[in-house]
Amino acid sequence: MWKVKLFFLVFALVGGMGGIFYVKNLQSQLQISEMNNAKLNEGIELQKELLIQKENDFKAITEANNNLLETNTQLQADNRALDQKFNKINASGKQRDIGNLAVQKPRSVESILNKQAVERTRCFEIAQGSPLTEDEINATKKSQINSECTSQANPNYVGY
Amino acid sequence: MTETYKVIIDILEKHFGTDTQITDQSHMIDDLNGDDFDVVDVVCQIEEALEISIPEEETMGLQTVQELISVVSAHVES
Repeated sequence: MWKVKLFFLVFALVGGMGGIFYVKNLQSQLQISEMNNAKLNEGIELQKELLIQKENDFKAITEANNNLLETNTQLQADNRALDQKFNKINASGKQRDIGNLAVQKPRSVESILNKQAVERTRCFEIAQGSPLTEDEINATKKSQINSECTSQANPNYVGY
Repeated sequence: MTETYKVIIDILEKHFGTDTQITDQSHMIDDLNGDDFDVVDVVCQIEEALEISIPEEETMGLQTVQELISVVSAHVES
């Protein structure tokens, strides 16, 4: 009889130990799962931040692209104006001959070219971030503008 | 209206066109849509038409038709 009791006692002890190990194992797995879950949540938050950052970058790139297009359009207009300056055709259909003018009026042409060189230097200054002067901002007449980069130097000038 | 005046206006009209009425007060750059080279060009044409020669220092900085007429007239009459 005592053997049967011993058997049940040993069985109960082994069963209890097994149960304890089983619960401990479950707790350990639960802890690991919670840690994994926390890492996943961190990852999701990080991905959300990256997504927002990407959206912001995309907006900035689009804006920069639009600015470049606008600058390009302005530069093309300036380029056309420069081209017209040297190849201008008057109302009678006669094309300007700068060379001939330079022969007849060398000092006048030199003076004009020097003035344009000064204006061109100013264009570089503006392109490098120099603020516009009051005169440049307020220029509304053709005789007041910087003819080398009007769109950048004289924002209030409207061409004829 | 003198002959000189007529010649000057005729040259200005041929050069700048007749879309804008040319008066003595017209500014060759602002009103007639010209530039500095146009002013030099016009002076050369006037010199050729009137067979005169105007020193460059007198024509540099000319802006209005009135100023142009004054300078040219001084040399035609002299």
